[in-house]
Amino acid sequence: MERVDGYAAIRDYAVIGDGRTCALVARDGAIDWLCLPNVDSPSTFARLLDAERGGAFELSPVEPFEEEQAYLDGTNVLQTTFRTASGTVRVTDAMTLTDVVSIAPMREIVRKVEALEGRVRIRWQVTPRFGYGRRETKVGRRSGRPFLFAGRDAIAVSAWDAGTIGLGDRAVGSEFELDPGQDALISLAATYKEPAVLSGRDDVERRLNRTERFWKEWGGRARYDGRWREQVVRSALMLKLLVFAPSGAIVAAPTASLPEAYGGGRNWDYRYSWIRDASWTLDAMLRLGYRDEATAFFWWIMHASRITQPRLQILYRVDGGLHAKETTLAEFPGYRGSRPVRVGNGAVDQVQLDVYGSLFEAASLYVEAGCHIDPDTGKELGKIADYVAKHWRDKDSGIWEVRSDPAHFTQSKALCWVALDRAARLAERGILPDRRDRWRAEADAIRAFVEEEGWDEELRSYVRASDQPEVDGCLLTMALLDYPPSSGERMQLLIDAVRRELADGPLVYRYRGDDGVEGKEGAFLTCSFWLADALARAGRVDEAIELMDELLGLGNHVGLFPEEMDPATRDYLGNYPQGLTHLALVNAAISITDAER
Amino acid sequence: MTLWGALAGGFVGTIVLTSSLRFAQETGLTRMDIPLMLGTVFTASRSRANVIGYAAHFVNGLLFALVYYLVFRAVGHAGWLFGLGLGAVHALFAGGALVGVLLPAVHPRMGTPWSDAEETPLLEPPGFMLENYGSRTAIGNLAAHMLYGAIVGGFTGHLSSFF
Repeated sequence: MERVDGYAAIRDYAVIGDGRTCALVARDGAIDWLCLPNVDSPSTFARLLDAERGGAFELSPVEPFEEEQAYLDGTNVLQTTFRTASGTVRVTDAMTLTDVVSIAPMREIVRKVEALEGRVRIRWQVTPRFGYGRRETKVGRRSGRPFLFAGRDAIAVSAWDAGTIGLGDRAVGSEFELDPGQDALISLAATYKEPAVLSGRDDVERRLNRTERFWKEWGGRARYDGRWREQVVRSALMLKLLVFAPSGAIVAAPTASLPEAYGGGRNWDYRYSWIRDASWTLDAMLRLGYRDEATAFFWWIMHASRITQPRLQILYRVDGGLHAKETTLAEFPGYRGSRPVRVGNGAVDQVQLDVYGSLFEAASLYVEAGCHIDPDTGKELGKIADYVAKHWRDKDSGIWEVRSDPAHFTQSKALCWVALDRAARLAERGILPDRRDRWRAEADAIRAFVEEEGWDEELRSYVRASDQPEVDGCLLTMALLDYPPSSGERMQLLIDAVRRELADGPLVYRYRGDDGVEGKEGAFLTCSFWLADALARAGRVDEAIELMDELLGLGNHVGLFPEEMDPATRDYLGNYPQGLTHLALVNAAISITDAER
Repeated sequence: MTLWGALAGGFVGTIVLTSSLRFAQETGLTRMDIPLMLGTVFTASRSRANVIGYAAHFVNGLLFALVYYLVFRAVGHAGWLFGLGLGAVHALFAGGALVGVLLPAVHPRMGTPWSDAEETPLLEPPGFMLENYGSRTAIGNLAAHMLYGAIVGGFTGHLSSFF
């Protein structure tokens, strides 16, 4: 694995996590991204955004090596095997889950090093840079153990058979060698506003083993036996890492400001939970049999949006907070010079009408799966449906959160139709208050608008917006959400238009037109998987399978996908790993498998 | 100053407290829903949880009125102004420890800051001073509890002649 100016390729990372935060581990053994204590907290390791000063936990052989990295089968426990001229060692990485036997650290990264053959000299160093590198890291010893701390953040470093730990300038680390059959253990126990927990080796080993058992059991429960089970289970495991367990929210990605083009300015913070993802999340989780996660997410949506209802904000903080003020981190140069580095997300204040369709589709899926919606929640949903009936004629910023002027986006209108259609269906079942006549009438009006204003006869396709006659990948969601075109031919033509206008091989761009942001971007992987899904639903199963096989071949060494890819270089772009991409992957795989049967 | 006065104050105060928090919720000031939070300790059904939660909150309101009464007795004085002050202390305790820390720790369906991937809670934790339920929740909580305290103090101090 090579680094360019200190930066590893995005595709060279795997992710570990514990349901509260995630860490990105490069193939060369460096943990280059970690936010503590939560996924949306300021960074502690951010070499991803500043190769010189961002902070990392490096661990690798001193001499040149070749590496191989893979997840322990069916788990989120990572193993990296280093082969050198002197021998072979294996490093097992995990963020451990809490333990009832002994006090567990607030957050913990465990790295176990096992000597497989020969004697390999290993060097490791921990260089945290708390608070996006803005707070000075101090070093000291407490109860004989090295501590790295700044204000209310602290990391206790414990190591067994991993050399004598030296305290350096804002860093701790060591070098060591093991005989074959021996192993070393390193634990980073992080805390925030609490005393740090100092564990013994047995406790750390037990937590690591327990964590592995949990993931194996959880991944094994995935209810999918189609041709792509391995990739689907990997996606499920990755999506589970994006679930913020304290609230049930799901972040879009665990990273911030990974660029959509090298050196470009399209760098956004995805460590928030988008309502837009609701229907895809519930669909994927319920179809895979993860009902608890689906239920928790649905409860969270209804609870988090309580303050703004009947209006929905497009995204919420994982703790349910409403504010996500966008700021730039001037001190970070950005991934391979991609500035500005943004944290927070300015799209929070946008109007995006498609979110209502996602919410009602989620509610509908929830009920169809046999889950219960109580009368109070039904009333809340009824008020939201009334809001949609009143506001669908408004302009909005659309699913892609464009920063150009609001417009009448076709997909937004179609999803308003989905919202009112599902609301009426739920009312029919007595789950929502019965205002079906009004909702049906407005749904018909929306459909008339979409069919009239959202269709371009010359292009033979639905178009991005009534005044923007171009194809947009998000229009495929109309097929996925059973929007009824005025003729069956229109969906087939839309699929053809997407392939013709937006595809580059298996990769599909979101759109080609202006979005109010300077610079280019890569192809959007979610759209590629949506295309595979739409093909299957349109009865073009062979095409769908062929496309799906091609797409899955683009996954990295551990089966993870980013937000975007450069069709020419196949470089990964954008925040990573990307929840929406993996949701689309899971749903496409299941749709194709269903269509095959 | 009598126990019955305090209990009467607790009854009325809890009605006012619950109603004002409900009003704050309906007007978008907060997402805090005390009946739901208490009721879901016993059931995952929101409808049943609300009924149980209201009942539990009333019992809590009466129990706290007893605590207020003991304080009034110990000091030898009761009145709406003193109750107002006790209400502020009550709000700090409720937001900082009782609901903020203790309830998530024993609630079977509420997350905590320590919940990990093994858990799928249905309710998010309130956070310090209930901040997760909206930035204005702490102020609403303070105002509602001060109102409750003033009512308990006023009833205890001024209705004693009726009992």
